Amino acid sequence: MKVCFLVNDLQLSGGVGVVVEHARRLAHDHGFDTALVLVREQELPSWRYEALADVRVLPLEEARRERFDVAVATWWETTFTLFDVPAERHAYFVQSLEDRFYRHDQAERVGAALTLDLPVAFITEARWIQRTLQELRPGAPVHLVRNGIDKRAFASPDAIETRLDGPLRVLVEGHPGVWFKGVPDAVASVRAMREPHHLTIVTGWPEELGELADAADRVESQLTHREMAAVYAESDVVLKLSHVEGMYGPPLEGFHMGATTVTTEVTGHDEYVRHGWNGMVVDWDDVRGTARTLDLLARDRRYLHFLKHNALATARGWPTWEQAAQFMALALLRVRREAPPTADDSAAALMSDLRGGIEAYREHLVERGDFARQVERVERLKRIGPVGKARAVWRSPAVQRTVGPHVLRAAKRVLGR
Amino acid sequence: MPDWQERITRETNPAVRVEHDLRYRLAEPLILGARTWADLGCGNGVAAADAVGGMYPGRAVLVDAEERAVETAASELRAGETVPVVADLTDRDALARLRETILEGEGPRAVTCFEVIEHLQTFVPLVELLSELAEAGEATVLLSVPNDDFWAIDNPFHETTWGEGSFAELRSLLPGGTVVARQLALQGSAVVPEGHDGEKVTVAIQPAAEGAVPTHFLAAMGPQAAALGVHAGVAQTDLDETRAWERQRESDLAHMEALHRQIARLQGENDGFRTELQANHREFEDWRRYIHELEGKLGLPLSGHK
Repeated sequence: MKVCFLVNDLQLSGGVGVVVEHARRLAHDHGFDTALVLVREQELPSWRYEALADVRVLPLEEARRERFDVAVATWWETTFTLFDVPAERHAYFVQSLEDRFYRHDQAERVGAALTLDLPVAFITEARWIQRTLQELRPGAPVHLVRNGIDKRAFASPDAIETRLDGPLRVLVEGHPGVWFKGVPDAVASVRAMREPHHLTIVTGWPEELGELADAADRVESQLTHREMAAVYAESDVVLKLSHVEGMYGPPLEGFHMGATTVTTEVTGHDEYVRHGWNGMVVDWDDVRGTARTLDLLARDRRYLHFLKHNALATARGWPTWEQAAQFMALALLRVRREAPPTADDSAAALMSDLRGGIEAYREHLVERGDFARQVERVERLKRIGPVGKARAVWRSPAVQRTVGPHVLRAAKRVLGR
Repeated sequence: MPDWQERITRETNPAVRVEHDLRYRLAEPLILGARTWADLGCGNGVAAADAVGGMYPGRAVLVDAEERAVETAASELRAGETVPVVADLTDRDALARLRETILEGEGPRAVTCFEVIEHLQTFVPLVELLSELAEAGEATVLLSVPNDDFWAIDNPFHETTWGEGSFAELRSLLPGGTVVARQLALQGSAVVPEGHDGEKVTVAIQPAAEGAVPTHFLAAMGPQAAALGVHAGVAQTDLDETRAWERQRESDLAHMEALHRQIARLQGENDGFRTELQANHREFEDWRRYIHELEGKLGLPLSGHK
């Protein structure tokens, strides 16, 4: 069985890590001829992944000269070149609904959504994605292969150590600059706590933390899996207030090391988090409510222990990477055995989404036209002689130092009425 | 308390035995409607024999990793034709031979594979074989996996972990038309007035799988997959046996804990002796040094030195 996974790069990230792990185990455990195909020119040095020796890493040009049983896209942009790679079957490993990573007026949002209409077999890692794909693409094959956990790195303790006192140890993890990770909200929630706490922030981008770092007792970066496991083991709670997640790995890793979670009801949480059983589910944009939930756990150590105890039990039932790779092997064998999806269904979905995309684009254009007209009116007003002079006077430092603040306050009072 | 009894025998705990019997009763129409039946992981064949009434008229391919189990199953089942197969169900070559053996028998064919997958180091080749047989319409396959995940059971005999999520994964990889069933636990009680001993009683229940936690997950695939119906089984609990069984375990556990305590105590004593010995050793060293000093001053050869 000859399989290739298309990746943008081999930079250290959760998504790429999952692909690498599957590729590695398919080669090692199942004897697959596995390759990682880099679809982009590499600008940054790649992280070294352990034991990639069994897996070939090919530039796209080289992959084009080979023939694979199954070629698998692993990120929406990699579908651009998926069909350039000669293969008996083409598949798409969907790790999240990636259009949600972009705001509604970003062009990538429509692009990412359209890739889900391709005539390919889908493999996904979370049941919520599986359900969504089955609704979006009825009839298309959608195979579920959940991510495993490296149980050697995230080696669970036999039992939870009972902590009767001391500050609540909270761990916040994620990219502070990515809006849907909710890191600023998480830090704000910890700041709003009344009970004693200790905050650890783990991020690959510490320079983007800014003033958020002031709230942390400790900031960690670029940790190996084993180092990360040690940080989880020192934590009581993994606090994640994400808006978009795929399989949602960090709280689960925390579970393995005996930490519970306080999380938003983000996609993927329902794979293993049960409110009041092994974690606490809080509302989005509710900093105060989240802080009170953390306070509750800081005060009620019996409850905290109950959640941590059940979190650890949940982790015990989660599959290893060895098991996950068995499902991936089965999925790929099945994709190869099945007839490829027909282009008709795919085209219908594609055209429907394209139409939706054009409608959204038209709405944005109308919206922007409105804004442009408003701006034009303001600009015209600014160009009137006396207005221009008044603005120049207003901007002068003398006015700003003396009457400026009084005028502003008066204006606010009037407008406030 | 977890039960690690992986082989079903006539002495098995009644609740576990009922669970096991019921899976074969579920498969009964498939088995009796088939001319060839393969039972993968047949074990001792006790439940299978009960399900088919102690006699299977067709060709029975009995497969297990242990030769003795296959032999016992063959004698329990008394099939028209028995083909005993000792095979490693993770081995592709063995599975290819098994496939041939199954297909040598006349159709229609049924394959049962209960509580096997979780014992295999790799289930990929077996699931592939079962899916192919079902998809090609060559056999109807009925398989089961346990819901270990719910109890966070770390069964030392299980190579892989199964539960709601893992079964959802498996289901997504099985052929279209696969029928899924959930096995649920029942509890009950009976009252028997004097003079009515042994009387048959029918209990009406409406088991609801939606939202219930299953003990096992089952999947049927192939031509007769839709033949599955609702089945339930209850067994009178032999409280005497159950008590004996549980007390034995409690007693064993208490005994083991006592042994652990004893080991810990001995370890402590050992540590004490070691400390004392080390202290004595240090004291003797001091004496030796002192004696050597005296001997040095007197010009005598140092004792203990040749």
